[in-house]
Amino acid sequence: MKISRKLMIIVALTIFEVSLVLFTLFEILQGARFHQLNASHLKYIVSFSEQVRQIQADKPINTLVLRKTMYDIREQPIECLKQITAVEKFIMRRIGTYNAIELCEKDIADANNGLALIDSYVDERINRKSFVMQLDILSGIFKQNSIDFELPIVRTVEFIVNLMVPIVIVLSITIVMFIVYLSRNITTSIKDVISLLSREQSDKALDDTISKNVTGELRELLISAKLRVKKEAIKTEVNRQLEALVSQRTESLTKANQELAEFAYRLSHDLKSPLTSSKGLARFVIQDIDDNHLHEARRNSQQIVTQMEKLEQLLSRVLSLTNEKLQTEEASFIDFDEVFDTIRRENQEVLRAHDCLLVCETHVQHALRSGRQSLILILGHLVSNSAKYSDPDKMCRSVKVAVFERECDYHIDIIDNGRGIPENRIPEVFLMFKRFHPNVGSGAGLGLATVKKYVGYLGGRIKFDTSADGTTFTIVLPKGDVM
Amino acid sequence: MTPLHALIIDDSEIDRYILSRQLKQIGIDSIIEKDDGLSGLNYLDESQVSGDRLESEFPPSIIFLDINMPHVDGFEFLEQFESLREKSNLSSCVVMMYSSSERQEDKDRAYAYEFVRDFIVKGEASAEDIADKLKSLH
Repeated sequence: MKISRKLMIIVALTIFEVSLVLFTLFEILQGARFHQLNASHLKYIVSFSEQVRQIQADKPINTLVLRKTMYDIREQPIECLKQITAVEKFIMRRIGTYNAIELCEKDIADANNGLALIDSYVDERINRKSFVMQLDILSGIFKQNSIDFELPIVRTVEFIVNLMVPIVIVLSITIVMFIVYLSRNITTSIKDVISLLSREQSDKALDDTISKNVTGELRELLISAKLRVKKEAIKTEVNRQLEALVSQRTESLTKANQELAEFAYRLSHDLKSPLTSSKGLARFVIQDIDDNHLHEARRNSQQIVTQMEKLEQLLSRVLSLTNEKLQTEEASFIDFDEVFDTIRRENQEVLRAHDCLLVCETHVQHALRSGRQSLILILGHLVSNSAKYSDPDKMCRSVKVAVFERECDYHIDIIDNGRGIPENRIPEVFLMFKRFHPNVGSGAGLGLATVKKYVGYLGGRIKFDTSADGTTFTIVLPKGDVM
Repeated sequence: MTPLHALIIDDSEIDRYILSRQLKQIGIDSIIEKDDGLSGLNYLDESQVSGDRLESEFPPSIIFLDINMPHVDGFEFLEQFESLREKSNLSSCVVMMYSSSERQEDKDRAYAYEFVRDFIVKGEASAEDIADKLKSLH
């Protein structure tokens, strides 16, 4: 049974009990009121008896006073009949005390007879002697009625009290016991629910357990609580994910900001450096021309040209880093032979200058679909680096580019036998403006940073292995659509 | 006046040439050039065998130090030179930064070392300016 239904029974029983108590109290008060009315009735009867006694002692008859006393005597039974309820009438009939009501009715009739007697005397239809005698008889009747009225009233009140008090006591005990039972029942149900919830079980198992073992409002409460907790959990999880996302984005932005600041600093340094040097050299050129040191002036002028070329190259490299055209390049099927020809053509000078041999191999069955221009830029940088940083102590300097098709991707290896990258600089390999052989070549230190960036644009990744015997870069590109 | 011996540590050959020529213009002929912090430290470390070290020119009175250099940069040099200066009795040797950086944080970081006496921004100081700065050192 639902807890609310059990509570409703307690409330109904309590209302019934209170009603019984109030009814009992009301009946006790009714009894007291009837006694009070009978006492007033008796007072007027005594007054009437005194008036009769004085008339008998030959005192003059005041019919007006007699008439008023008669009205007074009739008043209490009328009031008594007005006060009595249907329930009381029913009870009095059942327990045999209904004669109290009949006595009231008789008293009224007797009083009416007395008034008629007074009228007869006033109309001189009866003489004084007969009038006095009948008044004396009436006085006796009134007294007897009043005495007879007390007993049924007392018996009625006693009956109600004797009946109601045990009922109220039994009802009170029943209610208390029912409350104790209900309290234990609720406590046990709550303990059972706590025990169920404390068990380690899956969401579905918990649902099954609740539907099997919990009923009524507790079940509804658990279902509502579960829904609420679920909503809260979702909200908390969403908040946590949002916070993590914000934190991640903030960290990423901070890092990007730092990188941008470093980039700006390095760029301004590397842009300013050749300009400052050229300015200093130009002053010396003027001095040398004035002092007729033309050889020195020529040498410094050549240095200025070199610095300007360096600046031009730097600007070109920086622009390639942010080449939007390449960043949004449409993917196309790559003809590696054509790509290798382009790289060989574009890097022929640097390869020749360092006497470095370029070997290209292709081991693919299906054409790779990727960004052609980006791929040329990536491989061009790596081949150019291999040539620039080739080891002059080695007899045969070479760089080999080999493409392999794997099950899920393509591997492009760029293998050289150059100087290698110093071990302590390995973490800086893909950072901007980092040069590992400052005395060799004249790069801006942007090549490998650019390579990494463009490999990222192609959705690939790059790794390398280096030693004094040379360096191998491996680019892994995803295998999307193949031909 | 005691002749000054200068050590220039800079990875840029042209910048070394420019500074070296400016120093020669103001009468400093004893100049040693190193192209990064590591070779500079090796030159200053007495325990290291340095083939190009002339005892008459050692230790240098003034070191002109660049910041952005490969291997050991200017700040790494200062950190290591601080202990080397005590160990090798190089207290007479002071540093004048010679960099294209104009960042205040670079200047503050350099001036944190008591032996760093000045900060020359490349291209902004003439030979005369450098002479004045050197005079104020002694």
